[in-house]
Amino acid sequence: MNAVPLEYFLTVAGVLFTIGAIGFLLRRNLLVLLMSIELMLNAVNLTLVAFNRIHPQNHAGQIFAFFIIVVAAAEAAIGLAIVLSFFRVRKTVRSDDADLLRN
Amino acid sequence: MKLDNLETIFFAICTLLVLIGGVYTVAAKNPIRGAMGLLGAILGIAGMYLLLAAELLAAIQVVVYAGAVVVLFLFVIMLIGPSSTGTTDARGALGRYFGAACFALVSVGALYVVMRFGGQTLSKMPEPPAGMGTIEVVGREIFSEQVVAFQISGVLLLIAVVGAMAVARGKHGGEMLLPPITGTVDPTRKSVSADLAGHASVPEPQLTKSEVKS
Amino acid sequence: MNFLANKFPHDDFALLGIVLVLPLIGAFVNGVFGKRLGKQAVRMMALSAIGGSFIASVLTFLSLPAAEHGAHAVPKLKWVAWRWLDLNVTGRNIPIDVVFGADAMTATMMLVVTGVGFLIHLYSSEYMKADPGYYRFFAYLNLFIFSMLVLILGDSMPILFVGWEGVGLCSYLLIGFWFTEEKNASAGKKAFIANRIGDFGLLLAMALLAYYSSTLTFDGIKATAGNALLQDVKIWPLGNLPTEEIWHKQFAAGSIWPNWLVDFFLPDKPITAKVSTLVGFSVFLGCAGKSAQIPLYVWLPDAMAGPTPVSALIHAATMVTAGVYLVARMCDVFVLSPAAMAVVAITGALTAVFAASMGFFQRDLKKVLAYSTVSQLGFMFMGVGVGAFTAGFFHVFTHAFFKACLFLGAGSVIHAMHARIHDTDQSQDMWNMGGLRKYMPITHVTYLVSCLSIAGTPLLFAGFWSKDEILWKAYSSEVAGPQGRVPPADLGFVDLLKSPQYMWQWPSWLGPTIYWVGIIGATMTAFYMFRSYFVTFWGEFRGWKIVPGYIDPHPHHADEDLDEAGHGTTDVDHHAPTKKHPHGHVDEPSMAHKSASHDDEHDDHAHDDHRGHEPIVPGEIDGPIPHESPLPMTVPLMILGAMAILAGFLGAEPIHVAPLIHKLEPIFEHATKLVVARDGIDPHGGTMWMMMVPGVAAMVVGSGAAYWAYHLQKGEPEFSFKRSMPGLYNLIYDKWRIDELYDATVIGMVDALADIFTMADKWIVDGVIARLTGMLAQGIGAVLRVFHTGRVQIYAASMVVGLLGMGWFFVQPHAHVVVDDEELRSTGKVVATASPGLGYSYAWSGEGLQPSKSDRVEFVVDQGKTREVVVTVRNVFGREAQAKVTVTRPAARPGPGQQPIMLQPLPQQGALTPPSGDAPPDQKPMKLEGNQVGGLLRGEVGQ
Repeated sequence: MNAVPLEYFLTVAGVLFTIGAIGFLLRRNLLVLLMSIELMLNAVNLTLVAFNRIHPQNHAGQIFAFFIIVVAAAEAAIGLAIVLSFFRVRKTVRSDDADLLRN
Repeated sequence: MKLDNLETIFFAICTLLVLIGGVYTVAAKNPIRGAMGLLGAILGIAGMYLLLAAELLAAIQVVVYAGAVVVLFLFVIMLIGPSSTGTTDARGALGRYFGAACFALVSVGALYVVMRFGGQTLSKMPEPPAGMGTIEVVGREIFSEQVVAFQISGVLLLIAVVGAMAVARGKHGGEMLLPPITGTVDPTRKSVSADLAGHASVPEPQLTKSEVKS
Repeated sequence: MNFLANKFPHDDFALLGIVLVLPLIGAFVNGVFGKRLGKQAVRMMALSAIGGSFIASVLTFLSLPAAEHGAHAVPKLKWVAWRWLDLNVTGRNIPIDVVFGADAMTATMMLVVTGVGFLIHLYSSEYMKADPGYYRFFAYLNLFIFSMLVLILGDSMPILFVGWEGVGLCSYLLIGFWFTEEKNASAGKKAFIANRIGDFGLLLAMALLAYYSSTLTFDGIKATAGNALLQDVKIWPLGNLPTEEIWHKQFAAGSIWPNWLVDFFLPDKPITAKVSTLVGFSVFLGCAGKSAQIPLYVWLPDAMAGPTPVSALIHAATMVTAGVYLVARMCDVFVLSPAAMAVVAITGALTAVFAASMGFFQRDLKKVLAYSTVSQLGFMFMGVGVGAFTAGFFHVFTHAFFKACLFLGAGSVIHAMHARIHDTDQSQDMWNMGGLRKYMPITHVTYLVSCLSIAGTPLLFAGFWSKDEILWKAYSSEVAGPQGRVPPADLGFVDLLKSPQYMWQWPSWLGPTIYWVGIIGATMTAFYMFRSYFVTFWGEFRGWKIVPGYIDPHPHHADEDLDEAGHGTTDVDHHAPTKKHPHGHVDEPSMAHKSASHDDEHDDHAHDDHRGHEPIVPGEIDGPIPHESPLPMTVPLMILGAMAILAGFLGAEPIHVAPLIHKLEPIFEHATKLVVARDGIDPHGGTMWMMMVPGVAAMVVGSGAAYWAYHLQKGEPEFSFKRSMPGLYNLIYDKWRIDELYDATVIGMVDALADIFTMADKWIVDGVIARLTGMLAQGIGAVLRVFHTGRVQIYAASMVVGLLGMGWFFVQPHAHVVVDDEELRSTGKVVATASPGLGYSYAWSGEGLQPSKSDRVEFVVDQGKTREVVVTVRNVFGREAQAKVTVTRPAARPGPGQQPIMLQPLPQQGALTPPSGDAPPDQKPMKLEGNQVGGLLRGEVGQ
């Protein structure tokens, strides 16, 4: 179980994070934004677990990833609730339309 | 075939799953397809966890992400309706593209650093200690050293549940997302026509049409 | 008692805590829950708190250890609650404990405070019955008792100060108890501010004591006073400027100004004073504020705006005597300074006479009593000022009883007047009373007894014994101070070497002068007190036409009497008479209003003065028979009246019945050694009886004059005096217009200053600064608003721009070197470590240095030599940066820690020519002190 070197995982994680970040920046659908955030969180989790693998004295990285999953679940729940109530107000889920506080 | 090669192939499959899933997530026009892409990426990462001796995390990844978060996304997409993202609008497009370009630049630099770091040799993974990433070992650590954080994460989830309910219910409490369907029995067609009037800005739901068709 | 002694050892006498905490609990419960508890519960709570405290005080008094004559330290009950502060003043530690102590003086005060306090609580529970703020009143009153107990029990200056401020606060709260009326609120503020001026003095005294004695406990002050407080302090009152020289040059021929005036106003020579004098003055400033002495007395007459029981408890019996208590407590400091003692005595004597004169023609019954209080406080200060600490304190003791009795009697009368007259000024106007002895026998008798007591009726009444003792001591003794005619044996505790500088001594005429001034004051006291007595209780009733069986047309008034009384008890507005009578005309008292000659004037007066809601003309309305007050009000009167007689026999020295005095004497034994009999006077001889004669004569003359003028002549002499000399009469009636004087001078000055600051605030702060900051904020906001699009993705994009900046930073190589020069001095070894970075590779170079790829290099510097080391850092992008370290090892000669090691700052790359290979170490050095062991330095250059 040690054929794949660390750098590969880091690279995959980096690419995934970049995809997520670019998606977050470019897309305007709030749901896609939330999914992009999930992608980025997953990328970070992957690096944590990968580094934990190369320093296997304890499970700090894995447990950290575990807590990030917890936070991500909470974030998804809240975020989707916000999207729902935003949709109720504006009848849309476009991020650009969330500008009631402007002007 | 050697075990190492199998692992490498497995990693390659997972990588493909992750990258294609990721791209699909952010690129798909239809959010439902996006959610499917997210599912793929999540499963790919779960596979990588297996490679990284994190069995428990792989399981949690599948259960929590694939089983709960993605399903939640699907529910919301279903509630909102697929057509809620209207036509393109160029407002703020310059800023967004500029940001994306900057980020891509930084990412490329970072990847370069990762690939060049430590010279030409790749860091080989050490042999994992016995039982690494299993439920027993990770659980022991969570419930001893990390128990406070674990408890607090429980509180966080509780708050998230309550908060999500409070936010989703809205000010009026228990207001339905869509107005109640006021069905009238049409004696001639023997079917229920749903009156969704009152949702003026929502385009005529297809549901109704299919209902009518049937 | 054995039980008590076992339970409460003398040095850990926790019973004091119980004495203290009961009123505090009462205040807390009544203040927080009182509104919901209801009046009965509030009353029970307040009474039981004070009653319990009184019982504990009695037990404390009984367990006082017996004093031994000649013993150095006076036995005391002590209770240390906790350590409060640990001050460090100029290197000396001054621990400040929350410590409470009780000796005979404190215990006596405790008995007075809790005993009289209990009676007044009892009285108030009836008097305030109809007031909506009942619970608030008792909360304040209990809090007052607590603060007062802290004040007297506190065994060090800071604790005393806590109580001192606490009673000030309660006094303020209770004066302004009916705060809805503006004059009451402003009277409270006036009291508070006048007291603050005094508190400044007290704080100053504490600072001086902390600095010079290094202790703030009373025992410590006493022990160190004779030594530490006799140092000289130089003072330049108006600044130490070389003005005198200039002046003399200017007027070399001689100026028209006397020299001493020049010396004072153009000082370049300091005034030398003893610390004890300074402390004495400062403490006395505090006492003058709290105890209403000249010049800070003005608040006390106004303080009568509070409910009458408050006037009795706080502004007559207890709080205002705190100043006397403090002077007595600090007697060991005061006797070291004859000047401070003289100031105390003279101020006291002047106040006694001055305040008495202001009481002459007051119409308001409570005002008369207020001025009498100020005057009696003057007597007390006279006593402690001439060194008669026991006598002065004994007067505090007796005065508490008869003055409380007088005030409560006045309250009882006012209570009766409120049956028909609800206006504050009218109901307290003595000229609306009269003949009340028939209707209010108990009030009448107790008032008479107290009058006799305060006037000093010989041999039977308490006031006589205390006042006479003060006057006799004023006549017979003088404060000699450490340099006076004191037998050397008695000077044991004074370090005379500390005070070679000449101290001011009492002139021989000072004592007798004070005595005669006191006699004049006593005469005046007798006069105006009996004036109030005869006008109030004799003659015909002038308030209304008494109709037997009269039924109030508004029966609900019966319940609201006190409520209304409450909403404006006293006339505290000293401007009122002059405002109402712009020409300085004060209405003639209406004693004889029924005679036709006065009718018109009287009507004017009634309509003019009347500010109430009912157009009542006193004397012309019908009303019921004035009634005696109910039992809860008369019982305290009777007890206090009895004490106004009996208290005297606790200290009747001339007839050798003086148990209390004997208890008190050991406390002052130490201090009174410096108070000696005047030349040619035998302190225990027959002169004493002879000098009693003027005192008795004062009482006879004063009260006789009042009897003649107000009983036989029905006040006619006063009216004719007023008619013949309206200017003088009105001047006295307006209290010599001192308030107006203060308004014009001090307050006017402050007002003018405030006006200036208002202008500054308006034009500079608001006009310029505020506008500028506003514009600045607006400008920044205008810029930032452009970026504040409200779109979350734009925000994310700007985050990414920051990320780009950070990325650029990481693309650059950064060469930092950390130099460990710990062993530079001893062995010359230096360790240079380059800071790590992602993907960095290092190359070290330097004279005689092995090329190294490591991030760390070691080299040795010889003594007196300088070495340079250069590191080249290369990152993954192939970029390079250099850093150079120059280390100089000092020559062997200087001792360690004398010559700093030089680390040359490096120029930017491009100008990479070092200053010079063997640059002298003092050339623009970055200092690295040799004793900075292991200190890390960075020599850094980018790129």
